[in-house]
Amino acid sequence: MSAPNPFGESPRGNVEPILNEVMHALDRLLDDGEATVIDLGRLPFGPGEIEELEGQLGTGEIKARLDALGASRIRETIYPGVWWLDHYNTAGELAGRYIEITRVPDILTSQEADIAAGRARLHELISRSEETALQ
Amino acid sequence: MELLDFARGPALQFGLYAFVIGTVWRILGILLLAAKPDHSAARKAGGFMAALKVIYTRSFTADAFKQDTLYPKILGYLLHIGLFVTVFLFVPHILFFKGLIGLEWPGLPNNIIFFVGVITAGVGVALLVRRLTNPVLKLISNFDDYFSWLVTMAPIITGIIIPIRFGVRYETLLAVHILSVALLLTWLPFGKLAHAFLVFFSRGTTGLVLERRGAKT
Amino acid sequence: MKQKPTLGEVLQAKGVSRRGFLKYCAATASLLALPPAMVPRIAQALEAARRPSVIWLSFQECTGCTESLTRSSSPTLEGLIFDSISLDYHHTLQAASGEAAEAARHAAMEENRGNYLVLVDGSIPLGNPGFSTIAGISNVDMLTETVADAAAVVAIGSCAAFGGIPGANPNPTGAVSVSDLVTDKPVVNVPGCPPIPTVITAVLTQFLTFGQLPDLDHYGRPRAFYGQTIHDRCYRRPFYEQGRFAETFDDEGARKGWCLYKLGCKGPITYNACATVKWNQGTSFPIESGHPCLGCSEPDFWDDGGFYRPVSTARIGGGAAFGTAVAAGAAIGVAAAAMSRRRQQKTIKEG
Repeated sequence: MSAPNPFGESPRGNVEPILNEVMHALDRLLDDGEATVIDLGRLPFGPGEIEELEGQLGTGEIKARLDALGASRIRETIYPGVWWLDHYNTAGELAGRYIEITRVPDILTSQEADIAAGRARLHELISRSEETALQ
Repeated sequence: MELLDFARGPALQFGLYAFVIGTVWRILGILLLAAKPDHSAARKAGGFMAALKVIYTRSFTADAFKQDTLYPKILGYLLHIGLFVTVFLFVPHILFFKGLIGLEWPGLPNNIIFFVGVITAGVGVALLVRRLTNPVLKLISNFDDYFSWLVTMAPIITGIIIPIRFGVRYETLLAVHILSVALLLTWLPFGKLAHAFLVFFSRGTTGLVLERRGAKT
Repeated sequence: MKQKPTLGEVLQAKGVSRRGFLKYCAATASLLALPPAMVPRIAQALEAARRPSVIWLSFQECTGCTESLTRSSSPTLEGLIFDSISLDYHHTLQAASGEAAEAARHAAMEENRGNYLVLVDGSIPLGNPGFSTIAGISNVDMLTETVADAAAVVAIGSCAAFGGIPGANPNPTGAVSVSDLVTDKPVVNVPGCPPIPTVITAVLTQFLTFGQLPDLDHYGRPRAFYGQTIHDRCYRRPFYEQGRFAETFDDEGARKGWCLYKLGCKGPITYNACATVKWNQGTSFPIESGHPCLGCSEPDFWDDGGFYRPVSTARIGGGAAFGTAVAAGAAIGVAAAAMSRRRQQKTIKEG
């Protein structure tokens, strides 16, 4: 990777420290199974920096799209266990941007409340069709 | 921002007025003094060149004293060069002068200024230690020496602290720095720091006197 | 008083899934500048949170603060927050007008006595009550009456927080800030001209989520957003250290995006979150667009001697005064020399 350029263009102060943070988070994930979330929303990125960071992490084997209160684009980077999450709101504006260092981001797993609600719906469907069959 | 407003406004204004009034006062007051009547015949025709020569030669130590005065001489030069660099080549300072007199010149990067500032502060401390430990120097030092040291060091120290911050808000540190400058400006014409503008007059006068007596300068 | 629905109930009624809610909580943590590890606590708190009643008063203002807030386009997460507060009075946004509007304000005050939030934009003129009135009520009277039973007051924008433009020298209307008048209630200042919409919603969200106001600095501003200077968080900061400055707005330095200190940037003495939260859905902030920071979230920024004067320049009078100083110095100097000469003459004579 290119050294932080001392002069000209825009400074690149954020990319390297974040990559380091990601590496240490991977250490924790492998050694203790501890997951880490890095909120990219409150960092003073200069023009082009976030794109550089995104480019450095690349796109790996999994891409997922979530539709809940607006779209979310979730993908594993070329470094397994490092996930890039873009949450958009219903107007299609970026609402949150995170790097998660985990085996699978929480938000991808089915949630208890949603499973329960789904089961109830399915139960209702079945009992309704049984009623129809009886008639 | 109230303290900063006071520092950049009334305090600095007072300091600058005191500096201007004091400097003009001291220079005119001294230049207009009558020379002591000298009834002896001049050995050489004293002139402007004689004055300039001593102004130059006194910037260096005579060979006989070189060895003994090397340490304070180096410290003295470092202090003055350090002061020049930090005061006149730091970009925010240049903008300050531009605001006052309309002139601007190129500056140095902040990290260089900071480095020079730390060295200058260290040299200042070394000079104070020497003043306190050298018996002769201690004996001939008075309030003026110590106070002049203090008001010179205060802007350097407060200036160095600004980027370090120590958890204090920037505008507070900046205000304290400016207040210390106001104090320096107020004191400068009236104490030994007046050598800033009197040094070449006094050396020139020495040159004229020595020339008249035919001394080797 | 009828029990307002909890936020959990509001979201459920809207058919929002748990995933959606978690996403909302993550965004809330970001908004409040809380670590992502706080998301479960936020989720717990938000589910049980009830919509607070909000009364928004507009005094001597330009509606820029309301514009700032509403231009964070709807429906967004911020919009959702506004779904979850009950904005009971805002004379620019509400449909009712005249007596019906004032009746709505009184009803909200009555129903939520001691629990509602008052948001204020604009300063309050004390010079003459007629300078600014709403429904024939002077600003100061309306503020005093509305605040009396409020839980807290949020001063939105530099006018409400510090007096702002109306309060700028020579302050013709005798404008004062909210905190000049409200001294017996917590007042949160959210200054800026206008403030970042995210910061406005964050204060409301904090109140909604945890039922308390954020940690404040000595100007009453939330530390989470006003804890650091623009300069300290500026991506152009390295150029400042390197001594690379734009000298004009169209020179090489300006094109290369160098530091704007010489063009009067007030970043070093301005506490705000523009450099990180940014504007227009995170697009950029003034410095990123090539203009120095005006320092709009600081008190009296209009009277700071000019937007294009560098921070380090002195705020002092002009050359004429210095001419006088030179003349005074000269007069004292000549007098001192004359006295000395006289004394010298005398000494010589006395031999």
